[in-house]
Amino acid sequence: MKSQSMSSLKIDNLQLSQQGKLLLSLNEEVKGGEVLTIMGPSGSGKSTLLNWLVGMLPNDFYANGELYLNQQIITNTASHLRNIGLLYQDPLLFPHLTVEGNIAFAMPKGDKQTRKDEISEALNQVGLAGMEKRCPQNLSGGQQARVALLRVLLSKPKAILLDEPFSKLDSQLRQETRQLVFEQIQRYSLPAVMVTHDESDAIAAQGKVITLDALSLNKAAS
Amino acid sequence: MIVANTLFTRLVRNSPYLLIALLVVPVLGGLLGVLLPAFGWFPALGANEFGLFGFIQLFNTPGIERMVMLSFGTSLISTLLAFVITVLILASYFNSPWLKRIQRLLGPILVIPHAAAAIAIGFLITPSGFLSRLVSPWLSGWDVPPDWLFPHDPYGLSIILGLTLKELPFLLLIALGVLAQPEIGKTLKAQHKVASSLGYCPMTGFFKVILPSLYGYMRLPILAVLAYSSASVEIPLILGSNTPPTLAVAIMQWFSDVDLSLRIKASSGAILQILITLSLLGSWCLLELLVKKCSASFLVNGEREYGGMLIQRVTHLITTVMLSVIGLALVAMVLWSFAGFWSFPDLLPQQLVTLHWSSALLQMQTPLFNTLVIAISTTLIAIALTLFVLEAEQQNTKTISAISGFIIYLPLLIPSIAFLFGLVWLFEQVNSQHAYINVVFSHLLFVLPYVFLSLANSYRRLDPRFSTVAASLGVPPSKIFWQLKLPLLLSPILIASALGLAISFSQYLPTLLSGAGRINTITTEAVTLANGASRRTSAVYALMQMLLPALFFILAWAAPKLFFRNRG
Repeated sequence: MKSQSMSSLKIDNLQLSQQGKLLLSLNEEVKGGEVLTIMGPSGSGKSTLLNWLVGMLPNDFYANGELYLNQQIITNTASHLRNIGLLYQDPLLFPHLTVEGNIAFAMPKGDKQTRKDEISEALNQVGLAGMEKRCPQNLSGGQQARVALLRVLLSKPKAILLDEPFSKLDSQLRQETRQLVFEQIQRYSLPAVMVTHDESDAIAAQGKVITLDALSLNKAAS
Repeated sequence: MIVANTLFTRLVRNSPYLLIALLVVPVLGGLLGVLLPAFGWFPALGANEFGLFGFIQLFNTPGIERMVMLSFGTSLISTLLAFVITVLILASYFNSPWLKRIQRLLGPILVIPHAAAAIAIGFLITPSGFLSRLVSPWLSGWDVPPDWLFPHDPYGLSIILGLTLKELPFLLLIALGVLAQPEIGKTLKAQHKVASSLGYCPMTGFFKVILPSLYGYMRLPILAVLAYSSASVEIPLILGSNTPPTLAVAIMQWFSDVDLSLRIKASSGAILQILITLSLLGSWCLLELLVKKCSASFLVNGEREYGGMLIQRVTHLITTVMLSVIGLALVAMVLWSFAGFWSFPDLLPQQLVTLHWSSALLQMQTPLFNTLVIAISTTLIAIALTLFVLEAEQQNTKTISAISGFIIYLPLLIPSIAFLFGLVWLFEQVNSQHAYINVVFSHLLFVLPYVFLSLANSYRRLDPRFSTVAASLGVPPSKIFWQLKLPLLLSPILIASALGLAISFSQYLPTLLSGAGRINTITTEAVTLANGASRRTSAVYALMQMLLPALFFILAWAAPKLFFRNRG
């Protein structure tokens, strides 16, 4: 597990600007198992930052700086080759596939039975045992969120981005799911970047918190 | 919602019944009027006994299997091709600015009447057509037109080409319309992003994530296209072989034969046509099931890349070829309409003259007048009725029932050749001899569904709070309708009107049959001329067919801008 212990996501001297106006600048490294939390009001450039990290920066933005994943430069790698998993506030499960299908879709190729066993085991761990053949639409919100999490994790990403991942869950569910997500991030030792509005998310993440404000003067606090 | 009981609200409340009656009575009556003679009951001929001799006669017709095969094959293959190309274009240009550009290039083709499109394609592929001129003599060595059978080839390849080119823009626009719906489009795009973040190349992501969901929204339009193309008359008439023709064309010839005894065989043929259309729809659904079964494991096997680059290149090629075919066909038609002496294999005519235009425009006056009168009356009725029905929906605060929603599309799903002849019989029964009224009535069957389809979305999406505010100010429902909703909806109403006019302009069979051959429009003339002697006159008529709808669409688009110019 040597490579995992070395895993890190490094944002090197990033400057994001729109039409010549500087939106934000950032210089951070996130180690495996750590969560970097980005907070700030809408319009502060949070989603632009996420778009840059996954390689989907819209044309009217301009970025300067490099992105390293496990010491490899991926600034100009196509988004589908980056190995960066994404977890949104909506579970975005594929309606034409079963729970099992959704997770299998994300997993690397391999022996059918091995993949099946892996899925069952993972479902078991998050309290969804026996739900393989269910339709995602018939699951509760919390169950959907957990399937979406498994889908990302079993795709074996090298880093994970969380885009307001808990904002659509009610408070009880929110705590449970949040705990589960952070546990799994540590278990897989993934560098994670989380964008959120919610103070309690930031506290629960127990990592560094960066607050962006609309004027792009970044304050860092732990 | 509590609605005041005024003349206006009563009128509005009863309009859905009128709409349903206007669509159901002719279609069902027409079907009955074909069903009875099909089974031998045709009092005008003294045939008063039910029997199967119509069908026996039908199946004894030489070449009947070929007619059926041709109808079945051309429509299935063309729909399949149009669907596959639509999917390839979507997959290759998803998230690319080219998708919008292709849409803009193909959009206008939608309003080109089938007859005009067929004439244009004929000009391209005929032995002395533009295509063989392009490669002669430098490449092909041809000094005289080659001896090929296009158009009118016995395998229906020309028909397939014509149908595919007409169906493709429709399917593409339907798909883009689905993706443009805020709810669906956003979710699908986000899911595509998820697939991308899971390592799927954009093309594979499209096929595994977007297509299965998108297809569900496209199924009905696809089936409508399939049903339409299986029984369409214009394209096979102009581009098809006549030995034998497709079943629909043969039925039309039997019905219009001077020998009235052929009517019974023709009616049996119409029933066979319905069976063919139904079996086509069944085959499509079976095919769909098969593909679903076979692709289930492919969707989740974890493979992320299937030669996406190759598929993309093939799609670039197909798109380019298709757009060139369309462009060349148009150029060829314009050239023919101005051509003086034009010997093979010259690419361009030796001289350009305006003679064909000036003489055709002189002949055209009556058909043009008929075309406009019929189209404008049909569209006015269709627009008024549609608006009333949509208003009734809002007063009842619920959308019309699923059955009514289905009935509106009935005339588009049932092969028109099957019920139009019965409709003519029905006109005779009620002694309606006014040809204009009969034609308007039958055009309405095809114009109403499209106008409804085009207006319903905008009307339903209008913010209901406008009316609530107005009502709270003491404004009566009629005033809200006339002075608030209609002005707000001016743009969509004008576009729907242009669409209605375009649909009416393009009608061939309904005009021919309901008008008992006495009413000539630009379209009936164009079809008659298409296989006639003068390619030049034919080109002028086909171009007129394209210019008319284009003119009204431009008017519909420009008028609101002129009206509201002063509002800054």
